[in-house]
Amino acid sequence: MNTTTSNTIQTMGLWLARNITNSSSFKAYFEPITQMFMPQWRADRFRSKLVSIRKESADMYTLIIKPNKNWTGFNAGQYLELTVEKEGAWISRFFSISSSPAYFQQSGLIEISIRIQEKGQITPWLPQALKAGSVLNISEAQGEFVLSPALKPTLMIAGGSGITPFRSMLQQIALKGLAINTPVTLMYYARSSEHFLFREELQQFEKQAPNLEVHFIDTDDVGFFSDAHLLGFCQDFKQRDIYICGPGPMILHARKVLKGQKANDDKIHYEFFGPEPVSLEASDKTVNVLFQRSDKQVSTDNTEPKNLLTLAEEASLKPVTGCRIGVCHQCICKKQSGVVYNSKTKTYSDTGQEEIQLCVSVPVADVVLAL
Amino acid sequence: MITKNKLDDFAQELNQIRENTMAKVGQKDANYIRNIIRIQRVSEIGGRIALVLGFISPLWWIAGVLFLALAKILDNMEIGHNVMHGQYDWMNDPNINGRNFEWDIAGDADSWRRYHNHEHHTYTNVIGKDRDFGYGLLRLSDDIPWKPKNRLQVLVYLALSTFFEWGVAYHEVAGERIFIGKPRKNSTLPITRKALKNAFFSKAGRQLFKDYVFFPLLCWPMFFPVLLGNFLACILRNLWTSTIIFCGHFTEDVHTFQIEDCENESEGEWYYRQILGSSNIEGSRWFHILTGHLSCQVEHHLYPDVPARHYPEMAKEVQGVCKKYDIPYNTGSFGKQYLTVLQRVIKYSFPTKKEAVASL
Repeated sequence: MNTTTSNTIQTMGLWLARNITNSSSFKAYFEPITQMFMPQWRADRFRSKLVSIRKESADMYTLIIKPNKNWTGFNAGQYLELTVEKEGAWISRFFSISSSPAYFQQSGLIEISIRIQEKGQITPWLPQALKAGSVLNISEAQGEFVLSPALKPTLMIAGGSGITPFRSMLQQIALKGLAINTPVTLMYYARSSEHFLFREELQQFEKQAPNLEVHFIDTDDVGFFSDAHLLGFCQDFKQRDIYICGPGPMILHARKVLKGQKANDDKIHYEFFGPEPVSLEASDKTVNVLFQRSDKQVSTDNTEPKNLLTLAEEASLKPVTGCRIGVCHQCICKKQSGVVYNSKTKTYSDTGQEEIQLCVSVPVADVVLAL
Repeated sequence: MITKNKLDDFAQELNQIRENTMAKVGQKDANYIRNIIRIQRVSEIGGRIALVLGFISPLWWIAGVLFLALAKILDNMEIGHNVMHGQYDWMNDPNINGRNFEWDIAGDADSWRRYHNHEHHTYTNVIGKDRDFGYGLLRLSDDIPWKPKNRLQVLVYLALSTFFEWGVAYHEVAGERIFIGKPRKNSTLPITRKALKNAFFSKAGRQLFKDYVFFPLLCWPMFFPVLLGNFLACILRNLWTSTIIFCGHFTEDVHTFQIEDCENESEGEWYYRQILGSSNIEGSRWFHILTGHLSCQVEHHLYPDVPARHYPEMAKEVQGVCKKYDIPYNTGSFGKQYLTVLQRVIKYSFPTKKEAVASL
């Protein structure tokens, strides 16, 4: 069967499902039944199994996962959405895949390395709740932060746990015997020697790939990425594809330095580790709210808290509204990231994606809304 | 009349009940709603198959009608209505989500979400604001002037009950006067009138196609028995939902309000109005489930986004708090409550005292 026919059949199937079941698909209609036989099965996810958990450091661990056989694979550097059930609620977070496609081909396994966020609801909980054999739902791999198919001279700049996509790329390079003729340099910044993750492994890759250089740079000793570092470790950076991954401020800083050095902007790729910062000028007093779809940003003073509905309307947006007292659920909107305080339930939200009621949500830390 | 300060204390106690319950919400609730959806799926599929087996014996056909009606009732009441109130939004499940859910009824879910959650739940029993009060067809209070056509409202009531889903479907379209009358002034409709009209026809069309074209054709030799069975299942569901809903707001002692009553009202006053405007029905666990826990209409109006399976337990506490503050709490058996609904429909089909005096 060719793709057009199978697409047509799929479209007809969805149309029929919508018309005779009022569900988005037959899979979705039968989902609760399927879950009787396969707990935590999701129509829109790949039901996978946890093989084991490996501790990387005091605040970092790696989940070793056997993806479902229908999972479509990935490119080195991509991330996926991990979904698990916690007390009846689906919790989803995005994580980089820290192992390589070559390793996946060999073993059928992937790894995702997760940093424990002290106040997070998920990252400290996962290693306690999961054990070998636990069900994990994963999405298709996503993201444009990948090496070009034919390896080009490359400079990688990693900050802290932003090393994870680079570990995937370098493992790929090492296992596939690449970087024999093409130079690849990794500048890996971390706060103290304890925090260099995958240190031995990266040194091993360095030995395996003759043109690969890995520099572990202790920010406590020599400070952050600077002109001197750039010129010292990678003089020919203008000829290279440049990849940056790490916390938001680090990326913005690295881009500024590179711009100052007249690096080619088209060759710079970067990925924010964690939520994309709305602005760097955030202080304790002001909170920024980014309305993503309408591309508007507002700042609000924390000493005079306002709910998100008011803020949206002040920015002349017109979200759907109703009772304005948290009862009717008309103004529900997806929060992409950030922390809000719910004035009705008197609770703080987690940092990740979730649906919130605008009329009773007060932004506490920079918030990105799908509005 | 209870003082505002007293009502503040009252609100605090009601909030405490809410907090205690929400602390318990979790895995059990997720398992519960999924189980109900499973029962709904099995009833629906079983019911449709049984209808076709009607050629073996009419008993199969009767069972088919009953199971299909059960499936529709569960879908509309315990699943659809409660899910669309956002009671299960915390599950982050795209298929059990208040904004995505579409139900097995002629009315478009988006339209219902717009008017029900806001208009009916904020302005409960406020004359002129809450069009659920009598649905613009029935005179159920002195506040509405009597007209000669009200004499026949028992018949109107029976027709409304029988075709209730079409009332639900037409509700917003009527309010915005899409087909008849001048467009509503101060309309807050967030979509265009054309989009509303299209959604109305699209959803109604899909439902008609499913029950009266697709499944009858699919079971071709049984075309007419299946069509009739589907029709009867819809009617049974309509009668049941309409009856339960009437018992929730139109029983004898239920109060009505004026728009001034809810201007600048405190949380306590809001709670107070919700309690006076609603009435409960007592019954077994299965009865509560079949009503979508609208048998606990009072608790539903106090806590519309708390998973409904907790209402019967909360009802005991709410009733206790009401007693403490000497606030009337309207509850009774199904027979008793429904009888007062019928009395109300009949009573206000005649000119009531006010009118009688006025016309003198």
